[in-house]
Amino acid sequence: MSRAARGLLFGAVALLPVSLVLVPLGAFLLNSFYRVESNQIVRDLSLANYAAFFDNAAYWGVLLQTLWLCGRVSLICLLLAFPIAWFVWRQPLSRRYLLLLLIVLPLFMSYIVKLYAMRSILGLNGLLNQMLTGLGILERPTTALLYNQTAILATLAVLFLPFVVLPVFLSLERVPASLLQASADLGASPLVTFRHVVLPLALPGTVAGVLFAFVLALGDYITPQMVGGTSGFTYGRVIWSQFGLAYNWPLGAALGVILFLVCGAVIALAGAVSRRRRV
Amino acid sequence: MTTRGERLAMFASGLLLGAVLLVLYAPVAVGALFSVVRLQRGQILWDTASVQAYVHLLDNADILTALGTTALVAAVAVSAATVMALALALYVQSEGAFGRGFLELLVYLPFVMPPIVTGLSLLLFFSGLGLARDIATISIGHGVFVLAILYRTILVRLQSLPPSLAEASADLGATLGQTFRYVTLPYLRSALVTGALLALTLSFDETLITVFLAGDRMTLPLRLWAMMRVGFTPEINALITLVILASIGLAVGVAARLRGAGRLNV
Repeated sequence: MSRAARGLLFGAVALLPVSLVLVPLGAFLLNSFYRVESNQIVRDLSLANYAAFFDNAAYWGVLLQTLWLCGRVSLICLLLAFPIAWFVWRQPLSRRYLLLLLIVLPLFMSYIVKLYAMRSILGLNGLLNQMLTGLGILERPTTALLYNQTAILATLAVLFLPFVVLPVFLSLERVPASLLQASADLGASPLVTFRHVVLPLALPGTVAGVLFAFVLALGDYITPQMVGGTSGFTYGRVIWSQFGLAYNWPLGAALGVILFLVCGAVIALAGAVSRRRRV
Repeated sequence: MTTRGERLAMFASGLLLGAVLLVLYAPVAVGALFSVVRLQRGQILWDTASVQAYVHLLDNADILTALGTTALVAAVAVSAATVMALALALYVQSEGAFGRGFLELLVYLPFVMPPIVTGLSLLLFFSGLGLARDIATISIGHGVFVLAILYRTILVRLQSLPPSLAEASADLGATLGQTFRYVTLPYLRSALVTGALLALTLSFDETLITVFLAGDRMTLPLRLWAMMRVGFTPEINALITLVILASIGLAVGVAARLRGAGRLNV
């Protein structure tokens, strides 16, 4: 094939991805340099939106709070996912994949439906309140279960837990059985084998999974709104509000670019960690 | 041989798994239960049990319209993305192709970026073009999003195609088109179906990107979200039960196809 024909072929295949992914991202970046004056978007380039982010504690403060929230979500996911993945890994082969399927299946259930269910479980007239009052533990239903940071934390952890179990399990599965036998033959106790063989080999996949959950939680803007109420004002919601009531698309785009950079950094970190120790 | 400590760890982590599965499946159970019965002061009123809520769904024009939109979007987005993914995979696997890394970056980017970024960038792009938000814009958003999973599924399969098959076909005098039609395509068939099923499940549930691209249109998740803000009714529970059953059906279909065919290395 000639050079020209190759170029033409590349152009044909690249046309749609470039025009529907790269160009929109360019438009997104470009918009972040525009500004709004009396409800009109003014197409002058400036860094004013970025300056606004760093000047206004309401913006960077919310980002920091959201990072902290997502950090805790990731930590919860890690603490739950690791023992679960380990348990599944230690099961006989026949049971292993069935259990894994059971854990992963909720990922395919509608996201909105899961939010709805969390609300109907935690809400004032929800299942938990009804049960607690029905059993006489509470005198009247409590509002303490929904519309606070804890509710957001619990819901995000429930949503993203399967995303962490899966990579942890896959990296445990990659631990060669021969290494475990060698360690046992050399007289190591199961705990020592776990500490010096299993854990180091499973670490990259675990870190990648946890960072993945972190990015997913960071970009979510519906969960905080649905289960967090007014106390769930996260960074994603700040971006979202610029496209609704606030009507400041350029500022929203700038805030989005910052989110994109943060997520890009986290994903790059995950990639570097999972590549470093791969055998 | 297992030690006491190990057995204890197994027991504790098994208990944890049980508890977590309970929480993960509570949504299905709760929705399904309250689509047929009512709850009052912690007492389930079994005598109110009925399937009326499901019947009422059929009268709800809003829901039926949303269902139609979702189906149309999924069909358009998934078929277009499948063709695109096939073309990309064939190109990337072809000899002397350049720009592989660049193309893969573009394919994976919308999948790993926060959906709010994907949604926003498409919104700004469409509004820059003066394109009104409708079924077409939603379909483009879904297509861009599911492309990664289709591409990955097809590429993995294509990489396992022995080059000797294509060579044999050429030796027997087949043209490139004939080799594609009679060798490559049948070999990729199962990967295409699996990928398309996965993509359909994703498109069916997609919310975070769709919000930005839908305008006044309502897909099923958007309609559900709107209904949720109003309150809880048996109809919503009936609807989410059906939605979950459909998603689980699709997912189990994918899982069954993957068994024996090797794991999906995404």
